[in-house]
This record gives sequence, structure tokens and C-alpha cells, in this order.
Amino acid sequence: MLKLAFFVFLLSLASCVTVRPEQRAVLADPTMQFDNDPGDGAARDHVLENREGSSGGTSVKGGGCGCN
Amino acid sequence: MQLKRLLSAGACLIGLLTSVAASAQVAEFAPRATVFIEPSKTSKLLVINPSAELSVTPTDWLEVHGGYEADIVSGATESLKGGRLSPVDIVSSATHFKDTRHQVTGGFGLTRDNTKLSATYSYGTENDYRSNAFAVQSGTTFLQKDTELTLAYGRGFDRVCTTNFAESDSPSVKAPLDSSKGCFTKAVERASRKVDLDNFQTGWTQTWTPVFTTQLVLYGALQHGFLENPYRGVVIAPAGDQALENHPDNRLRLAVALRGKYYVRPLKIAFSLGTRLYRDTWDILGQTYELEAERYMTPDLRLMAHGRYYTQTGALFWSDDYTGGEPHDGPRGQYWTGDRELSPLSSYMLGGRFVFKRNGDPSNRIAHVMLGFETSFSVDLLKTSLRDFTWGGTKPDDTLAGIVSLGVRGQF
Repeated sequence: MLKLAFFVFLLSLASCVTVRPEQRAVLADPTMQFDNDPGDGAARDHVLENREGSSGGTSVKGGGCGCN
Repeated sequence: MQLKRLLSAGACLIGLLTSVAASAQVAEFAPRATVFIEPSKTSKLLVINPSAELSVTPTDWLEVHGGYEADIVSGATESLKGGRLSPVDIVSSATHFKDTRHQVTGGFGLTRDNTKLSATYSYGTENDYRSNAFAVQSGTTFLQKDTELTLAYGRGFDRVCTTNFAESDSPSVKAPLDSSKGCFTKAVERASRKVDLDNFQTGWTQTWTPVFTTQLVLYGALQHGFLENPYRGVVIAPAGDQALENHPDNRLRLAVALRGKYYVRPLKIAFSLGTRLYRDTWDILGQTYELEAERYMTPDLRLMAHGRYYTQTGALFWSDDYTGGEPHDGPRGQYWTGDRELSPLSSYMLGGRFVFKRNGDPSNRIAHVMLGFETSFSVDLLKTSLRDFTWGGTKPDDTLAGIVSLGVRGQF
């Protein structure tokens, strides 16, 4: 319950943030995107999942652009 | 027969996509080849992974994609696991093998305003394994597009080939496979077992400032069925008695990952820092720490360098040797394994990647054909430190691996 409350708190904190469209030049760049080369990332994850006991939690596509 | 069916299905899919592409606004073709090399005196491994994906966007709201990939695996591996007290010569039990996995994938994505929905189906086949899997993912942005939430679910209906033992047989008399010959046929000495996989993942990506963004990922997976390696036997008694690995039938896996990206304007470098914590019901606790830096060398060329450290505890039932006395060289409950990925280990990865990207437009296409072109080349080195694992008392020498990947992406 405490974890859920903390998550909701973080989410509400996020609502206070606004980055204006004209401030998004850096965020829109591929270097600021998570998983900006999915093919390369998937190849590496495929190897690691077969070499480790852990899996999952790898990056999902997305970044801070939202410019269109 | 399976391969023929797979290739004809792939040809149909490519034909369908090509016909759709004829009227599409954008079609994207992305071939890639990855090579994994793990040198060793006795158990070297080489995996060549060619893949290609074609996607088309016939309208603003629809994207259709299809792909093919293969894992061409060759090498040698120890088929019998024993520890330092093992009365059997483990190292000379290494056997050579070759196998190829084929996988075709097809799916679509729908985009409406700030919301995306996608679905993918994949079918994979190899001599000793069949997989059918589908995945659905949805995502939406809100709060002025500063916040993005994604939710994904995947289900796998897999089957693995084993020897024809009865479920009611004692685990200590179940025998491992000696080859994939006869698998998925009516051969009486072979059987296939179910492996059910459920994967859940949710991600929260948040922009905090014009140069700072974070991502939180929660992951959960349920695995049920035959989770052993069907080829691997384990020495389970001082007299040298051997049996097929015996793992629990269920595994719940959980992971939480947090990443941040920060752009340092004076250096013109985007830094990324990430950590992941992992826990499962086999009592493996894993920690991952990653650092990445990426910057443009020229307007079209960027360089990324990254490092990764990983460490994990062993599974509750893992032991290097099941023939001695507890706690270090003996049984740990009712299960046994020869899987080194279930042993306590840590690993270091260092690597880099070049990406060349050029954008065109409909009136000024690259080479008169492409709207966009991108190619990436990456090299990674992976060094694993196996804290307790041995092959009959000898530390494995296949702990340094290299990964080389070359990909191209063209938009038409």
C-alpha cells in the first residue's frame, strides 16, 4: 500500500512539470531516447538472457520528445 | 517440412506487406546481422543471428510489420554436470552440436492521437523446440506529453523435446536427450513437453526538464512447465549415477528498473544511468548497473560507449556438486541443476556503437530512393565470473565472449 502511495505521489509530482514544445529540441534527439536502437538492444538482450539468471525490465521505447 | 511451411508463410507475409507498401506513405526495411563468439578449448560457441524486418505505414494510424530471424548455433557443450567430487570425467563429455532456430513475426500497430496499440505474433521452430507467442502493447502520453505510460502483455505456448519418460517417473531415472533426432515426430523414444510463458511489463517515462528524462519499468513473468535443459544430465550420487536436470515446474520472475538520461550541454553528451533489481521464486537476486554516454562526432555520426555490471546470487537448489555432504557439496532440497546461469555469478560488459543517420524528404530523397537511412555497428565484450561453478572441479574457460552487430535501416 505504501509503495502504491509513493507511486501515486511521484505521478502527481510529474503533473507539476511542463516542458514547453520549444524546449524539446534536446529531448527529441535520438541520443535522449530510451532504446534508441531497438535492433541492437534486442540482440544484446538476447545474449544476456541466455547468460544470466535474470531477465526482463529492459528498456521500453520512449523518451521525452512528444513533439508531434 | 517445418522449414518449408515457415518459409512459405514468410514469403506470403512479405508479399502482403510489399503489396501494401505499394500504396504506403512510408515503408521501412531493417536487416541486421549479429555474431556471438565464445572461445574455449572444449566448449566454444558461435551464434550467427541474421534478421530482417519490414514495416509499412499505409495511413497515419496504421502500421503493419513482419520479420524473420534465425539463430545459427554451432559449438560444443558439456552434456553432463558434476562438481569437484564428481567420479566422472566431465570435460571429455563435451559434445559438438549444430542447430538453427527460425522465427517469423507479424503484427500491426494502431495510433490515435496520443494513444498507441500494437499486437505481434511470432512462431519459432528448431530441431528440439517450437514456440508460438503473441504480445500486445498499449501506450499513451498525457500531461502535455511529458508523461508516457506503456502496458504490455505477452503469452508463449512453447513445446520442448525430451526423452519419452512418464511424468510419474522418479526424477532420478529420467534420462537426458543424446540428440534431437526423432524430435517432433512419432518416434516412440521422444516426447514433447509444454512450456507456458506469461510476461507483463509496464513502463513510465517522464520528462522532468528540457534535458532530463527518466524511465521506470516494472516486469513480471510466470513460467510453467518443463524448465530444464533436456540435454543436460547431472551427477547425483557418489557412485556416479546420473539423471536429467530436475527443476521446479513453476517460476515467478519480477524485476524493477529505473533509468535516467541527462544531457550535459557544455560537453554535448547525453549520459544515461540505469539500475535493475531482479528477484524470482527460485531465490535468485540479481542487480544490474549501467552507464552510457552518447554524443555526435559529426551531424550524421554519433558514438555511444557503455559499461554494465551484473551480479546475482545462485538459485536456492543450486549446488556445484550433489554427491557430497551439505551444505557446500551436497543436495539442496529435492531439485538439481547443471545450469551455470543459476549459479552465483557476476559479469562485466564494455562496448561501443557507431550510428550513422541521414534524413531526406520526398523532394530530396537519399540516393533518389530513400526518405531516411541509418546504419549502426556495435561491438561488446562480456566477461563472466563464475564464483562457484566448475566442470568436475575445473573452472570453465568460456567466460569471455564477444558480440558484434551490424544493422541497416532504410525508409522508402
